[in-house]
Amino acid sequence: MNPDVVSAIARLRAENILSSGQAALFDRVARRQLVSVRLEIRVLLYVGVLLLTSGVGLLVTEHHREIGPWAIAGGIGLAAAACLVWVIRKAAPFSWGEVQSPNVAFDYVLLLGLLLFASDLAYVEVQFTVLGPNWAHHLLVVGAVYLVAAYVWDSRTVLGLALTTLAAWRGVSISLISGSLWAADAGRLRGSALTLGTLYVAAAALSVLLRRKVHFEEVFANTGLLVLFGALVSGVLDDGSTWGWWLAALLAVAGLVMWLSFHLGRSLYFAQAVVAGYIGLVRLFFEPFLYGRDGSSLPFLLAALLGLGVLALIFAAHRRMKER
Amino acid sequence: MRQNSAAWERAAEVHEAAQGWLRAGAIDEPTEHAIREAFPDPCITPSAVWRVLTACVVAAVIAFTFEAFSIAFRPSEIGHQVLLFLFAGASLASADLLEASPRFARRGAAGAASFLGVGFLLAGFGLFLVDTLHMRPDDAIDAILIASFLAWAAACRRWGSPLFAALSAVALFLFLGRLPYGRVLWALVGAALAGVAARRLDEASWAPSHRRAAAVLVVAGVVAAYAAVNVYSLEAHLLEDLGRIAARRIVASRGLIVLAALATAVVPLAVLASGARSRRTFLLDSGIVLLALSLVTLRHYVHIAPLWAMLTLSGAALVVLALAVERALRRAREGDIAGFTADPLFSDERRQHALQIVPVVAAFTSAAPGPAAEEKDFAGGGGKFGGGGAGEKF
Repeated sequence: MNPDVVSAIARLRAENILSSGQAALFDRVARRQLVSVRLEIRVLLYVGVLLLTSGVGLLVTEHHREIGPWAIAGGIGLAAAACLVWVIRKAAPFSWGEVQSPNVAFDYVLLLGLLLFASDLAYVEVQFTVLGPNWAHHLLVVGAVYLVAAYVWDSRTVLGLALTTLAAWRGVSISLISGSLWAADAGRLRGSALTLGTLYVAAAALSVLLRRKVHFEEVFANTGLLVLFGALVSGVLDDGSTWGWWLAALLAVAGLVMWLSFHLGRSLYFAQAVVAGYIGLVRLFFEPFLYGRDGSSLPFLLAALLGLGVLALIFAAHRRMKER
Repeated sequence: MRQNSAAWERAAEVHEAAQGWLRAGAIDEPTEHAIREAFPDPCITPSAVWRVLTACVVAAVIAFTFEAFSIAFRPSEIGHQVLLFLFAGASLASADLLEASPRFARRGAAGAASFLGVGFLLAGFGLFLVDTLHMRPDDAIDAILIASFLAWAAACRRWGSPLFAALSAVALFLFLGRLPYGRVLWALVGAALAGVAARRLDEASWAPSHRRAAAVLVVAGVVAAYAAVNVYSLEAHLLEDLGRIAARRIVASRGLIVLAALATAVVPLAVLASGARSRRTFLLDSGIVLLALSLVTLRHYVHIAPLWAMLTLSGAALVVLALAVERALRRAREGDIAGFTADPLFSDERRQHALQIVPVVAAFTSAAPGPAAEEKDFAGGGGKFGGGGAGEKF
């Protein structure tokens, strides 16, 4: 029971702010006489899909010689097709607006079908070398299929998968901690990341401007900004001589994103820009002291002062931003 | 906790409930506005994004300032301890001031300042024990764990953060694990903690954040008790490894192992039953996780089937179970069975969907192959394959 809400409902009913029907339902929920297990059902489905795909992967790894490549490829393909046929039969008609899932299992069966399809494609590529030296392009195929599926069946989860798979095709891992943007071929990777990030942000803008799946905007823009800022910050933190140019680009992009997100009322975009800009400026403060023999407290003090300035900016932006 | 802060939290609880009612279409906007007027909350409550951003920047400011002072004054061993205690005092005092202000209480700054304040305090205390008192490492660890338990508990009582309750419980159980009969203490204290905290979950006189902290303590107690009685933990001496360096490992008797095996099966079911009876979803969730751990333990001892079969079957079973539960709840006469429903009620479905994207993408996105790989001659199985969780190793 939530005693604060229970007593509030009684008072709101007594003051006629709530009707007796409303108060009865709210009271039942606040007293935990009616509890939703929707989240638990979703988590069970997600873990189920995770275990199923892991089991299939392990089966193929351990027994591919005994089962044979055709049987494996056919089996996984059939399972994927079964899932996708079920999805097609259950799906609501296509719309450029937001479409509600017909039931709680829909998103997970779609996810399972697409993951099995991706596994099958990867297996076929390894066994039969269909794409030959261009084997990495199978990620492009998978990403494109995910992208189409996300639009056809209106799934933000699948769209997220599509964007990260397409990034992986260009060699960019969304998990920056894996250090891909600091790898030996970092310059080329950063170039890919900048292009992809810009494309994703442009797709977010087009979604809104053309009113085509407007609710996809946040997935496009957040992934795009993460990739874009990841590339710029990695350039700033690089040891090379070009870090100053990267810093200038980072500050320009961060400033632009802050300004745009402030007017659009998007706090997450604003936060990404603030963090990226702050990291870039901290690098600037530390640069003159990097090669000194004794550590100086000045860059730390400047970084702390800059932090106070950033706090003031955050408070001011929050006060004025009309969040959506 | 200040009376004002508790009152603000209560008003915020009502506002949050009203927002859920509005989102579900159960009330209209004028009604929601009237509820806000009836339960005024003077605090500014930014969204989670703003709070996390503010907390991160405040943490960076405090950490950079501390480092600046450390470098500028180059303190001796004792001076370093004094500096840590000074920063602890300043951070904790700032946290208290921020918590008292409706403008700043819920911005995330107070949380970051109190967290770092307790961290500085414990670090200073640890250095004092080791550098000044020259305590033996084992004794110092014990003292730091006791101090940590007390400090986090006091911080939770003062500022109401459930995270502090969790840290306090972790420190307590780590300390108990180092005592003789640590396993017995984990089981007894864990059960007692869960029992005592469970009685306070609906305590009207407690602030909402304290009630949430009680829920965290229930979970901590249940997990500790389960860890103590789990048969694998017993045989592998997992808790005994927390003990002092020279602690002895005693081989468990056959009877004790049988008893632990029974407890491994019974405890998750008891937690699930308790969750179902009390209709507390966090207990149900804990029971499900413990049941999964018990099944993994069972698989460790009894090889019923190959791993791939277990994974596939358990995955399929979970999907079927979830669908069966959902269908049964949907088809129930009043839309619920024993008070459980599959309807979202007043929860924020859109937020849940948004949060769902992150683990799915993290779990299923393949590793980046790198552009250079495209130029290599293809060597079967030598590259990185796999969109959406598919691996290249077949």
